[in-house]
Amino acid sequence: MFAAARFEELSETKVQSCQLKMSDNAESPTETQKEELHSPSENSATSEEKKKIDVLLKAVGDTPIMKTKKWAVERGRTVQSLAQFISRFLKLDANEQLFIYVHQSFAPSPDQEVGVLFDCFSSDGKLVLHYCKSQAWG
Amino acid sequence: MSCSVLDEEQFRQCCQLLLQRSDQLGDGWSWEAVQGSEEGYLRKTALRSVPSDWGPLHDQEGFNFHPQPQTLCDSTGHEKEEQDPAASTGSVFLTAEEDDDGSYTVTNGSSLVLQYEYHILFSCSYGAPVLYFRAFTLEGRSLALEEMWSTIHPNYRLCLQNSPLNAISQQEHPLLGQPFFFFHPCRTEEFMGPVLQAASDQGRPVNYVLSWLSVVGPVVGLDVPLQYCTPLHSAVSLNSTKPH
Repeated sequence: MFAAARFEELSETKVQSCQLKMSDNAESPTETQKEELHSPSENSATSEEKKKIDVLLKAVGDTPIMKTKKWAVERGRTVQSLAQFISRFLKLDANEQLFIYVHQSFAPSPDQEVGVLFDCFSSDGKLVLHYCKSQAWG
Repeated sequence: MSCSVLDEEQFRQCCQLLLQRSDQLGDGWSWEAVQGSEEGYLRKTALRSVPSDWGPLHDQEGFNFHPQPQTLCDSTGHEKEEQDPAASTGSVFLTAEEDDDGSYTVTNGSSLVLQYEYHILFSCSYGAPVLYFRAFTLEGRSLALEEMWSTIHPNYRLCLQNSPLNAISQQEHPLLGQPFFFFHPCRTEEFMGPVLQAASDQGRPVNYVLSWLSVVGPVVGLDVPLQYCTPLHSAVSLNSTKPH
């Protein structure tokens, strides 16, 4: 299957993906930008869940672009957890909903583990996830 | 389709495609035609287990769960800490042995099992699919509006309840004339638009109804399995994973 490659630091130029014409008003978080998503302490997580996969985040619509797009994420992390991370990173309003899609415009269930998404949809060793913010609910 | 407005024919086509996949996966959707006409809607029933610490729900005797403090969320909607339902609830109700569709974690074994019915209709005025749903306890008592809010995942509740338009409310089913909850379609175009545009830019076809359902379904406990968009040859029948 896929190689559980160790995530390596990538320079911004390597990470630049397709040019998305949208405003980038995302502020950098106050803490040092990390490229690894640290889960809250999960003593019960299996070693399998702790393995990391490469995720490439792409903004859709007028959603702010994250300055760091490529992340190493533990397989056991849920879509919901990732959405919350992105919302915090982008400092979204509480009223703003963030949606995550796999490339076929399908929103995986919030409880879905990213490791499973990687197994289904990864290409070139990375999982591309699109995120879109919306005031969808009113 | 490249535009974010759907017409009825496109709606039907999307539904038929969804239906085909549902049949392959054993996901339980059916098409309910209206009096032999082409008009109709998608329908599905499912059991769902809702954690008792999400809010006030009534058991079969009408006993009220002790009202839990509203789940604390910080500004990002992230739950702050686990509630302990056993501390406040008077009784332990039917406990699902296993999560149906693996939706939500049952905390401390205290939860309520509900029978859900989901309908997907087409709204001509909004050019969008609309989700109607209702829920019953296993004794057949239908859920009140206040209780329905307790079945919405806390992560979505903040955004939904702040909506001035009451994104989820009660409405008479346009075809059946019975009271249902429904997800107001007025904002559908707004969140579907960017996704459809992105797909159109890349020349990818999209099943509008499926994409839309994958977004709104989880809010009301309707799981839309990943297998709907994985390639045919790797599809796994859901029957093998269902608890019964």
